[in-house]
Parts: sequence; C-alpha cells; structure tokens
Amino acid sequence: MTLAIHLYRRVMRRGRLIALIALSSVPALPFWLSAYDAGPGEAEMLYGDIVARLGFSYAIAVLILTVAILREERDAGTLPYIYMRPISRESMAASSIIAGIGAALTLAIAGWLVTFTAAAAVGISMSTVTAGLVQLVAAGVGYAAVFVPLGYLVPRSILAGLAYIVVVEYILAEVVTGLAQISLWRIALSISADIADNPNPGDMLSAITPGVGGGIAKLAVVLILGFVCLTWALRKRDAL
Amino acid sequence: MTDTIVVNELSKWFGAKVAVSELTIRFGPGVTGLLGPNGAGKTTLMRVVAGLQRPSQGSVSIMGQDPRVTPAIYEKVSLVPEDEAVYERLSARSFVELAARLAKADDPRGRAQGALEQVDLIGSADRLLGGFSKGMRQRAKVAAALVSDPDVLLLDEPLNGADPVQRAHLILLFRQLGADGRTVIVSSHVLAEVERMTERVVAMVDGRLAAVGSVADIRSAMTDRPRLVFIEASDNRRLGAALMSAEGVIGVHIESSRLRVEAADAGDLAKRLPAIAIENGIGLTRVEPADESLESVFRYLVEGGE
Repeated sequence: MTLAIHLYRRVMRRGRLIALIALSSVPALPFWLSAYDAGPGEAEMLYGDIVARLGFSYAIAVLILTVAILREERDAGTLPYIYMRPISRESMAASSIIAGIGAALTLAIAGWLVTFTAAAAVGISMSTVTAGLVQLVAAGVGYAAVFVPLGYLVPRSILAGLAYIVVVEYILAEVVTGLAQISLWRIALSISADIADNPNPGDMLSAITPGVGGGIAKLAVVLILGFVCLTWALRKRDAL
Repeated sequence: MTDTIVVNELSKWFGAKVAVSELTIRFGPGVTGLLGPNGAGKTTLMRVVAGLQRPSQGSVSIMGQDPRVTPAIYEKVSLVPEDEAVYERLSARSFVELAARLAKADDPRGRAQGALEQVDLIGSADRLLGGFSKGMRQRAKVAAALVSDPDVLLLDEPLNGADPVQRAHLILLFRQLGADGRTVIVSSHVLAEVERMTERVVAMVDGRLAAVGSVADIRSAMTDRPRLVFIEASDNRRLGAALMSAEGVIGVHIESSRLRVEAADAGDLAKRLPAIAIENGIGLTRVEPADESLESVFRYLVEGGE
C-alpha cells in the first residue's frame, strides 16, 4: 500500500484538486436552477437526467487526475525511484490503479456532496441521490482502470482520453448500440438506474438493460484488462 | 574478481539514433569510473543496466539476473539518476524514508536517519527538497539510493552541482563503499573527478567502448597523442616554414589567418616557440592550444583503435 498511497498523494495537489472538484460539481447548479420550483416526482427525474447528461464533467475531471498517476512520475524523471524497487510489476500496476481509483472516489464523493446539497434543497429522496453516488463511484472505478494505463502508455493521454469521452461516449455511443455497450459511463449508469428504479436516465441507456450484477461484471472485466495492460507495459516498455 | 554486472553485445537505439553500440563489458566489486564526453552513451548504458530501458539488442545481467525480468534484484541494486528530479514537496527525510519503505527495509525511519547521516544531510533533513540546491539534491538522491544497503550502486554524474566540500565528502563515501566490496559505477565526464575515486576506468565515445584500463592509461594517451596549437604571427607563412624543421613538430597547416600546428608535446613547443620566432624576426600575435578536452582524448583513442 505504500506505493498506492504515495501515488495518490502525489497527484492530489491542492489547487488542482479544488478545480477538479468544481468540475465534478457542474451538474449541481443546473439541477438546482431547474428543480427548485419543480414537484417532487419531476425533481427526481430531473436529478437522474442531469446527472446522467452533465456527469461527463466528472469523467473529464477523473481523466485529468488518473492519467497523471504514472505519467507525472515519468515526465518529472522520478519514476526510477519507484520503478527500481523490489516490487513486482503486478503489484506496481495494482497499486497504480488503486491510487487512480482512490483519486476518482475523492472526486466522486466531493462532487456528489455538492450535488447532494442541491438535491436536499429541493427535497429529493435519499435513494435517488444514493444512486447518483453509485453512478459516480462505478464510473470512477472504470475510468481509473482505463486512464491509468493510458497515462503511462500514451504521451498525449489527456487528448486521447478526451477523444474517448467526448467523441466515443458522448457522441458515437448515442447512435451506435455496440459502442453504448462498452461505454464506461453507460455501464455505471446501468447500475445506478437499477438502484434508482429509473429505466433510462437522460435517455442514455438505449439498448442497455439496467442491472447491478451485469454492470459490476462489466466493470470487473475492464479492471482486469486495465491491470493486465499496465502490467505488460511496466514489464515491456522503457520506463524513461 | 567476480563479475557482478555483465553487459553482453549491448546496443540501444532510439529511432535512427544509436546511443550504445555493441558494448561488451563486465563490472566487479570496487569503484569503476565510466568516463566519456556528453552524449557518449553513459546515461543510456546506466539506464539499461538499471533495467529502466530495455536493450534493443544484447543483454544485461546483474548478479546473474535480468533486472527487467526480476524486480527482486532491486533489493541489491540502486541508481542515482543524472536528472535533478526529486519529489519537490517532500522533505529529504520523507523522500529517503519513502525509498526505504518501497525497498521493504526494516526500520525505515532508522535506515533513513542513517543514510542522511552518511551523506551529511541530517541538518537539512526536514526541509523540502524543492528548496534544495543542486548539490543538496544530489546528496538526498545518494541517501535514497543507500537506504536499501545495496550491493550494486549506479551513480550517474553524482557530483554534478556539488560544491568542493560536498564533492570531497561524496568521493570519500564512494571510495568507502567500493572498499566495502560493493560494485560502484560512477559516470562522469571529468577525468580528475574519477581519478580521485578509482584507478579503474571505462571510457566511452559515441556509444562505443573507447578504452578500459587505469586512469594512468588515459593520462598516457593524453600525453602521447599529437596536440594541436593555433598560432597567429606577423608572417604565418615564414613561421610555418621555420616550424616544419623544428623538433617535435609533426605537421603544420596554413589556414586563412593562422597556423594549425600538430606537436608531439605542446608544452615543449610553447617553450621553444618564442626562440624560433625571434630567430626569424617574426612577431607572435596569438598562441592558443586547442583540442585539450577529454572528449578529444576519447576520440583520439577511438580513432587510434580503428
């Protein structure tokens, strides 16, 4: 855990963290503005729709933080201090992804708390806002599993990650059903939709059936793939 | 002497640039100086030996293990990288303690304290590394390398930025580590620096092995090779003719406004040059020895070997 804690602390710079929490909290203001005079049922629907649609700001915040986990070590020239230690590459990959998940969860909880405050102000039920937190946590786990290896492998990883979030998840997955099935945001949404009993928040699930079990299974596969890919990269690629 | 590090037919290239070319060499216990001008491939060799970069061709083993396959070898191997990079927001103590924890050392705090004492950094141990001078950062990096009590220590330009007192301290420390039976490789482009640490030297130029031997061999190469001297005089042509017949002068070339003289011994030429000029009624405007860098010595060694 020493390595995971070190990597987590390193990316958690105060200024950056405040900016990214603000980015993760983007859905709160539009939700509050559109729901403050809505009825309870309508407000609940609005919450699900706005978190589903504007929650992409959270994905971008997670991207910025998680690609930095190993990329910053590499760019700063400090990677030898962790690479040249008697730590198996599997353990190093796992620690890096755990640090990325930790960073994503920090943003998820902070961003959700802001949205929760807005939701509480208009009297939304606890189960609905809990589903919102589950959505962010599940998405954060999936994004960390993908973006941590991406940061290590690809020099312009933020650009590549943004292309995935904006082009693939936000635009193409809307129209291509096959892509929707592998969209991390929609996988997380399928879990939260099942909990909130909202079959299609923001009309984003299209062909995906909400379900906690299926969503978790897909996330587990993403985690395993991310771990295998990062372990391979740490073994085979130059560390500097 | 047992070979701790075996480098066999090693090549490393980046695209079209060959950084290390077909290098075969062995290192054993004690201090070995890795000499060469900037761009000679020393840092690449260090990184490949350390397992940070994979060989494009050939192999490296440390104590019989490939560091890229067996990370457990890092219990016995440490590197002080050339880069100034450190964790700027950590104190020297936290940095060295982190190194100890990652190395799974017993009593990381005690080990860190000991390593900081070894590099004489205990007085500044709780200051942030971001506020450290280059020399202090180097010492913190050395402490982080020593904290795991390594048998093999790779030091890439470890004296860069250190002041004379710090240099003397680190040189003494490296010599002691070598005397303890550890394999210590110190890269440098300054012969005098390496000379104070060891007699054993490996010289590299353009990614190739230029010489392996003692510092005395390198010194001898510096003395034996022809030396270049540039001379400007009131009559370059006449002075050139006079020098052609002078003892110890190997060649004279008339360039646009000066003479390029190759002499067996530049010091001897400098002593006799005024007499030759006076004898011929020629005024000397400028006498400038050239080609004195270690780089030129290495190049001479490489060319001489071909």
